[in-house]
Amino acid sequence: MTAIVEGRGLTRTFAMPSGPVTALRDVSFQMAPAEYVAITGPSGCGKSTLLHLLGCVDAPSSGSLLFEGRDVAALSESQRSRIRLTRVGFVFQRFFLLPMLDAWENVELPQAEMGAGLDVRRARTRELLEYVGLGDRARHRPSQLSGGEMQRVAIARALANRPALLLADEPTGELDEDTGEQIADLFDRVHADGTAIVVVTHNPLLARRAQRHLVMKRGTLDGSGE
Amino acid sequence: MTSRALAWRTITAEPARAALAIAGVTVIGALLFDMLMLSQGLLVSFREMLDTTGYDVRVVATDAFPGRVDITNASEVAADIAGLPEVRDVAVVRSDRAIVVVPDRPATEVALLNLSEGAERQGWRIVEGADLGAIRRSESSPPAVISRSLARALGLRPGSALPLRVLISGAASAVPLVTFTVVGIAEFQFEGNGAEALATTFDAFQRARASMSSDTADLILVASRPPIEAAATVAAISARRHDVHAFSNEQIVERFNENGFAYFRQISFVLSTITLGFAFLLVTSLLTVSVNQRLGQVAALRALGVPRHRIAATLVWESALLVGAGGLLSLPTGWLLALELDRILRDMPNIPERLHFFVLEPRLALWHLGLIALTGVAAVLYPVWVAARLPIAATLRFETIS
Amino acid sequence: MANLGRAGRTLIPVAIGCLVTAVVFAQTTKPTSSTVRLKPDTTSIATANDDDTVPDHTVRENSVPQVLLSRHLMREAGVLVGDVVTLAADADGAGSTLFRVAGVYEPTPDPRKFSAQRLEARLHLADLIGLAEDSADPASGDIVSAINLALLDRKDADAVAAAIVRRVPGARVSSTQPSNSPNDPFAVLERFHWAIAIVTVTGSTAFLLALMIMRAEQRRDIIGILRLLGVPSRSILLEVLLEGLLIALGGAIFGIVMAVAAQGAINRFFQWRFDTTLVFVRVTAVIAWEAVAFAVPLGVAAGLAASWTLMRRSVVSLVGR
Repeated sequence: MTAIVEGRGLTRTFAMPSGPVTALRDVSFQMAPAEYVAITGPSGCGKSTLLHLLGCVDAPSSGSLLFEGRDVAALSESQRSRIRLTRVGFVFQRFFLLPMLDAWENVELPQAEMGAGLDVRRARTRELLEYVGLGDRARHRPSQLSGGEMQRVAIARALANRPALLLADEPTGELDEDTGEQIADLFDRVHADGTAIVVVTHNPLLARRAQRHLVMKRGTLDGSGE
Repeated sequence: MTSRALAWRTITAEPARAALAIAGVTVIGALLFDMLMLSQGLLVSFREMLDTTGYDVRVVATDAFPGRVDITNASEVAADIAGLPEVRDVAVVRSDRAIVVVPDRPATEVALLNLSEGAERQGWRIVEGADLGAIRRSESSPPAVISRSLARALGLRPGSALPLRVLISGAASAVPLVTFTVVGIAEFQFEGNGAEALATTFDAFQRARASMSSDTADLILVASRPPIEAAATVAAISARRHDVHAFSNEQIVERFNENGFAYFRQISFVLSTITLGFAFLLVTSLLTVSVNQRLGQVAALRALGVPRHRIAATLVWESALLVGAGGLLSLPTGWLLALELDRILRDMPNIPERLHFFVLEPRLALWHLGLIALTGVAAVLYPVWVAARLPIAATLRFETIS
Repeated sequence: MANLGRAGRTLIPVAIGCLVTAVVFAQTTKPTSSTVRLKPDTTSIATANDDDTVPDHTVRENSVPQVLLSRHLMREAGVLVGDVVTLAADADGAGSTLFRVAGVYEPTPDPRKFSAQRLEARLHLADLIGLAEDSADPASGDIVSAINLALLDRKDADAVAAAIVRRVPGARVSSTQPSNSPNDPFAVLERFHWAIAIVTVTGSTAFLLALMIMRAEQRRDIIGILRLLGVPSRSILLEVLLEGLLIALGGAIFGIVMAVAAQGAINRFFQWRFDTTLVFVRVTAVIAWEAVAFAVPLGVAAGLAASWTLMRRSVVSLVGR
């Protein structure tokens, strides 16, 4: 079975005024379809950097990265953008919902971008909002939702185009424990429905839900491997 | 959701900011529109003023227009010109400066005018009383048609007596006082705002100047016989008379455009350029700050797979909506502003009643909208560049941390 | 790019302040009227060798009288210093006299005829009278167009003018001091430029307010936290005021610098366009102070107004989502 994403010798160095900073050092990582992986580690160890590479948001300074067998380095920005739109879903710590759109419109946005027809979009958006338990809050704007509700809308948005891979960067970072549990439950459902998930988290309860738990330290992965 | 719809939602999410931006574009756009009107206004207005007199050629003594040297033997020259086959009508214009001497009032300087009989309607329009030709002439008290401002200044009405002495430049005038009888009050076509003017018959004019034997004139007006063009008439006059110079209305307009109107043309160009640059910088600043406020959103959208061109299109629509609304509103605003600016400039001395600095022409409105549109497009280039070149990961990291 | 965003946030209000000031400047400066000195014209004469000495009219080379031509006339006629030219008062050339071109001069720039080609020649009075007099009129040899007077004290101009009118009835006497009449062309132009300046400032104020509102909104969290900590609103507004003052002052000063630079460019352009040495735009100290007086309170008021709307909101709404 082809791995969804496969990275070998990934290194990412950032040029800073005070000198270059290597956030990732020779990291190799592979992920099977429908796998659920959690990555934990101290702040600044490179977890989010790895996540950005896996999601084709950023490019490695060296090493190779294959997404569903395609060499990401050989792709143009528009091709990588297409991958992010159709094959990857992102969930951010700070939600990043568009404040001038309501929940319905936020979830509908990626589908419209894909070119889905109006009826298809309507059906899918309704389905997703019900899926995350916010069917009755569809016309509420982010400012009218709680943190947990906003994150659930963000998850629904990330799932809009049925991605193969869901990447979540500290999804419960701004939420209380109970709400975090609700999000964790939602991830379980998403995983059970066949979507691969990589979650970067400080939350041990969330990390325990994953099939594979990797620890990152100073830019390297412990327990990394197939 | 289309880019236009997204742009609309972004703008309406901050109504105060959008309203202020549109107000800013409206006011600056109004100024730009006014400068476009000013660039051609005097020319258009002056040309219209000349063309509606019914005469398309003007003859003076020298090649300077307006001339400072009188045409000598004016009647003979006029008759000679009138005899040309290209000419339909000729009118002689004579003027001088005079002082109205009224007891217990300060001396009032007036322009003393005479037009050929029959051509009076081209020089003035009677608003009260009668014209010169309507009254039986009196040797002792010749008739005068006076301007409204002179009538107001001295409390004159038809029937009033008006003693007048012509001025001789640089000397105490020994020309005798002549008392005119006001027969009518008129609006003089070419006299400036508030100018005091008085028109009379040729005999009375000569008598007032004590120059019964001389026959000079400032200017001879010539109307071409249709379908002959003014240029042909000018050529015919130049061939017949070498002691005078003929100019078509178009040539006069061109001369004034080069000289008298030059300042306003140039200042309108300078101010238009400054205004356009100003509008460009202001809209660019506004959109750039707006994008900077939404860097996290933009990075998130890019991370979700929304392509660059869609984000760029959204920004372009934002600019189009703000600048477009302001641009349209600037047309009526500019027109109202032009009325006020025109009123200010018309306070200058010797500006004829019918001459305006700002003239509305439909093609100027199109030019204006085109320039505004161009400015809107240029102003969005930098914010689009900022959004398109955004490093997604770094921005997400920064927005999360901050 | 994020750093650029941060820098841009700071620079942009500065730039707006500059723009407001610069535009106020550009609109309120105007062509300056030249003061025509009440002295004999010969003091403004310059020879081609920049020698300010008045040529002695009693010294004639080969009995040919001398004439000075304006720079424009020299160019138009294609003559050089030392050439002999013919001058006549009659268009047909009757009564012409030969003159030697003794030098070239730059005409005193006159704002009332800056666009006219200054095709002028300066002769000694006796030569001009000799050229223009009418043999049939014995008095024509004793006629002049105008007599210029230089007074010991310029403030006496009106009194002297009145005295001359009493002694020489019919004479038209006027002072060269700028007229106080509201219809004076320069007074009208000043009103015109002020009107444009007001319109421009109004438009830029709308933009400035929009930007300040956006800026205040960006700092909503910070203001909310400060208020949550108990910092009084007065202190926060004072900080906003000081910050706005610094930015507005910096912007105003930069605007003055831009206006001075623009002054040079505009003057050079118009002087080239109209072939004149007239100064069209001059940024004086008064104008600089006026622009600062305009821009600084405007910038401060805009910042305060934008922040005031935040201060009126509840603390909870400021620190909430």
